[in-house]
Amino acid sequence: MDYVIEMLNITKEFPGIIANDDITLRVRQGEIHALLGENGAGKSTLMSVLFGLYQPEKGVIKVKGKETAIKGPLDANALGIGMVHQHFKLVHNFTVLQNIVLGMETVKGGMIRMAEAREKVMALSEKYNLLVDPDALISDITVGMQQRVEILKMLYRDNDILIFDEPTAVLTPQEIDELMRIMKELVAEGKSILFITHKLNEIKAVADRCTVLRRGRYIGTIEVADTDKETMSEMMVGRKVNLTVEKSQARPQEVVLEVKDVCVKSMREGHTQNVVDHVSFQVRKGEIVCIAGIDGNGQTELVQAITGLGSMSQGSIFVNGEDMTHKSIRYKNTHGMSHIPEDRHKHGLVLEYNLAYNLVLQQYFEPAFSKRGFLKKDKMNEYADMLIEKYDIRSGQGKETITRSMSGGNQQKAIVAREVMKNPDILLAVQPTRGLDVGAIAYIHEQLVAQRDSGSAILLVSLELDEVMNLSDRILVIFEGAIVADLNPRETTVQELGLYMAGSRRKEAEKNA
Amino acid sequence: MRKGKFDYTGVFSSVFAIIIGLLVGLVILMICNPGQAFPGFVTILTGAFTHGAKGVGQVFYYSTTIILTGLSVGFAFKTGLFNIGASGQFIAGGFGAVYVGVMCENLGSMHWIVALVAGICMGAIWGAVPGLLKAFFNVNEVISAIMMNYIGMYAVNWFVKSYKPIFNNLRNESKPVLSSANIPKMGLDKIFPESSINGGFIIAVLAVILVYIVLEKTTFGYELKAVGYNRDASRYAGINEKKSIILSMVIAGAIAGLAGACLYLAGTGKHIEIVDVIADEGFTGISVALLGLCHPIGILFSGIFIAYLTAGGFYLQLFEFSTEIIDIIVAIIIYFSAFALIVRILIQKFSKKQEDKHGGGQTPPDVKETQKGGSKA
Amino acid sequence: MSVVYFIFQQTMFFSIPLLIVALGGMFSERSGVVNIALEGIMTMGAFTSILFINLTGKNMSGQGQLLIAIVIAMSTGVVFSLFHAYAAINMKADQTISGTALNMFAPAFAIFVARIIQGVQQIQFSNTFRIESVPVLGSIPVIGDLFFKNTYITTYIGIGILVLATIVLYRTRFGLRLRACGEHPQAADAAGVNVYRMQYAGVIISGALGGLGGLVFVVPTSTNFNATVSGYGFLALAVLIFGQWKPVRIMWASLFFGLTKAIAAAYSGIPFLNNMGIPSYLYKMIPYIATLIVLIFTSKNSQAPRASGVPYDKSAR
Repeated sequence: MDYVIEMLNITKEFPGIIANDDITLRVRQGEIHALLGENGAGKSTLMSVLFGLYQPEKGVIKVKGKETAIKGPLDANALGIGMVHQHFKLVHNFTVLQNIVLGMETVKGGMIRMAEAREKVMALSEKYNLLVDPDALISDITVGMQQRVEILKMLYRDNDILIFDEPTAVLTPQEIDELMRIMKELVAEGKSILFITHKLNEIKAVADRCTVLRRGRYIGTIEVADTDKETMSEMMVGRKVNLTVEKSQARPQEVVLEVKDVCVKSMREGHTQNVVDHVSFQVRKGEIVCIAGIDGNGQTELVQAITGLGSMSQGSIFVNGEDMTHKSIRYKNTHGMSHIPEDRHKHGLVLEYNLAYNLVLQQYFEPAFSKRGFLKKDKMNEYADMLIEKYDIRSGQGKETITRSMSGGNQQKAIVAREVMKNPDILLAVQPTRGLDVGAIAYIHEQLVAQRDSGSAILLVSLELDEVMNLSDRILVIFEGAIVADLNPRETTVQELGLYMAGSRRKEAEKNA
Repeated sequence: MRKGKFDYTGVFSSVFAIIIGLLVGLVILMICNPGQAFPGFVTILTGAFTHGAKGVGQVFYYSTTIILTGLSVGFAFKTGLFNIGASGQFIAGGFGAVYVGVMCENLGSMHWIVALVAGICMGAIWGAVPGLLKAFFNVNEVISAIMMNYIGMYAVNWFVKSYKPIFNNLRNESKPVLSSANIPKMGLDKIFPESSINGGFIIAVLAVILVYIVLEKTTFGYELKAVGYNRDASRYAGINEKKSIILSMVIAGAIAGLAGACLYLAGTGKHIEIVDVIADEGFTGISVALLGLCHPIGILFSGIFIAYLTAGGFYLQLFEFSTEIIDIIVAIIIYFSAFALIVRILIQKFSKKQEDKHGGGQTPPDVKETQKGGSKA
Repeated sequence: MSVVYFIFQQTMFFSIPLLIVALGGMFSERSGVVNIALEGIMTMGAFTSILFINLTGKNMSGQGQLLIAIVIAMSTGVVFSLFHAYAAINMKADQTISGTALNMFAPAFAIFVARIIQGVQQIQFSNTFRIESVPVLGSIPVIGDLFFKNTYITTYIGIGILVLATIVLYRTRFGLRLRACGEHPQAADAAGVNVYRMQYAGVIISGALGGLGGLVFVVPTSTNFNATVSGYGFLALAVLIFGQWKPVRIMWASLFFGLTKAIAAAYSGIPFLNNMGIPSYLYKMIPYIATLIVLIFTSKNSQAPRASGVPYDKSAR
């Protein structure tokens, strides 16, 4: 059997952590090989080693049977290795064509010649059925098309070993299907693909073999066809995972949050469509209502309209019957609303502040923590110690730790602790488990259920279908800014949910609107 | 408690920058005139003491202005803003003080205080402009503050020159302020006889303490710093971030304006000269702030340190070196203080070697990687 | 008509250095490095080249001397800018701080060295470079008066740089790569572009043009150099923003700023303007006020290179 890539016994250490510990990965000619692992399992580090961004302490890399030293992306490219990064590496104000040729330009007499490049790109685009407009600016095209540009970039460079790093995270189900089709087509043309993911369904759908990493270690390589999903997930997590959340039947009581006919206008120039389109719903005390949908269907804007971080063009927001549409963020913060934000680094924490300061981010001015404009540092520290203890927030120097140096999971725990401790009437939790490992996810799920049971109304926004199905008491599906379905998770299947999320069904919406 | 978490690497990097700056200064002296280089260098380091208590008093007098402009820059820096506009605020403040100092005759013993307040207000107004532009139009404060420096300089020159009652036509500068507008000596002349020191130094020290308290102890400081670090998270926390940015620039401007007032009300023969040159004090303030790590107490010391070097520099002329060598040294110090990051990494490496000596067999990855990997982990 | 010609010629004296320096700044910022040190770079370039003219004044004169001075000015600018490049690119230092340090260093150094060499800080030079009228072209009506009389070779060099800069930025491989580095260095890196090398190139070009701009500024407007370029480096930054980091717009911006400068310098000699009674200080302030106003209208939708001022760290992804 021919291997196009062999990474043998790779070890890469960083101060205080072994990111890759004796990992072996072999990719065969013409296969789709999945690399499976949780966040922090060492997938990215391994790929950085393959791309020459890091030099491993130990181990050998062979490409097409030959031992090689890869010193950077240029070396990798020369060996025919190309990569579609999770965050696309495209220049926003360049055209599609310019992005594709960047670094591989055809030059005559000192001037760039685009004509030949255009021909080659169009030919590739036709051959692999990758439709793009070569003269469109990147900032003007959809995410799916941007991904096609990334794929064309690799093909333009005649790469035959293609790496896809978490390529489906930003795509709609249709776009995912399309991508799977493209991947199969590429392999049929003789390319080899390394497919990094943590989604088992996708592995099942396209991959031939799968290598599993866990906490920097090599767990094993399996034939996908012979292995069931449960086994793979057990290999990935290291124990039998029960992703279902223990929770009792919800007992919804009076309405806490009421959203009435909210619209948000698009900020992008030339767009007239509403990003949030006449959305109305209620969340009651003692229930978890989940807004499910594919990323970019208006969830962010809707939540920001409710919290006041963003604007809305019409509609109103009521909390406990009080009109809060035009109230300040501070007022909402102090009148029953808590918010676990989508982006913990952008909104959730002041990363340069220490943990104690961050734990009172919306309360520092309250009498408990200040007096006549002066901070009561001893009270802040006491409070921090209490939360650290109660919510098991781990960090180097306890309350004095600068939050930037904390792990993502503990940063998120700190935010959850802070928001839950306010004992809110309504808790908005936006992708509260994004980028966390299974342990932290389970913990945060427990906290949300506990908060529901103690009498809060909870509005959850999630992109993960499992989370939606397991955690919520009611599901609102959002598609292109509008609520298209109001579902009971007990009577709904994931497949059905997927159809609503993709916009191919929206019958119930009319009934509920 | 504060001491426990104080970041000493910052102090080390400042000391490192000072040593390099002085060494380069020495090298330049040696290239220019090897024979005189060492006595010249010694003069830089000790010249300030040439006249004993008077000399020390002069150092404090020189330091007054630059501590305040440094405090202005440092305060803004702590709140996430680079106040390169201290020059404009300084001259605007100076103009306010001079105007009241010359024109308002009937204020008696309150005269100097009113003049001081006028300076503070003018500086605050000048600082408010970049603050407003940043808060409402997202204009980069560095560029708008540079513009305000020039507008301030030309505007002040224009008004001084065209307004006869405060213009000294013969010397092409502003008229001296009335003696009642001079800041009292507050007893400092007893300690440092014959020197130019005055109450301005005490005012500067009070300003340092006040800024320290505001930044470290109050909810207001909590808000200002939070906005400086992360505007989005501050909004999320319910802080009015526009107000914070504006207030921050207003305060920075007020402090720089106070600096201008303190200089022209010092009673030492300083007048606003009509020349088309940006006030140096603002840029020296940047040096003072950076060297003092933008910490108010650090700024107090770095201001005195730079004033001390400058005082020593005057005596350099005895060795036929010009005083600009001091500016060169300070510029080099600032240049190297911008390397704080690299010093930090060197220190970490050093302390790490002390900790684990077993890791000898490994080739350490290069510096950038080490640092990145550390934060990733 | 002669007033128009006079104003136009004066405008060129002020505009050309702004144009050259702002184009230099454009290359630096388009590569991702903010170069606030333009003022210092101009000062250094003017210092060494004027010193050269002063020292060789007895033996040389005319365009040959000026051309050598230009080479010296550009080389000085390059060497000086390398300090900024090293701090910004290798040391990942705060680019504003490093630039500020260079701005402080330059005039102090110029005065210090001038004093050592000749005792006083002003460096005198004799201006033997003015071209009364370009042969043949100068006698063309109107155009000859505007462009080819009472002029300097540096004016044509400046226009040449504009043309070259536009072509390099938009039509060459180097330009494409440079722009990619300023917008999205990670993308450039992934495509195999050496970001550090491109940023060095950007800063070095800004150094060369900054140094040249210093000389070009001093020669037509003065007969001595007093360790300052009167804030022209900062004004060039304003021109750069005013021009939204685009060569042709930068040209218009520098012409506008140059015009106000020319009026401020020469208005008393022009009856029409003198009679309007607008104080010269107002003219002096106009470029800065105009920049503030433009900033207000453009900052929301600024065309600034996205990665400008952010140190590029290869290992951060």
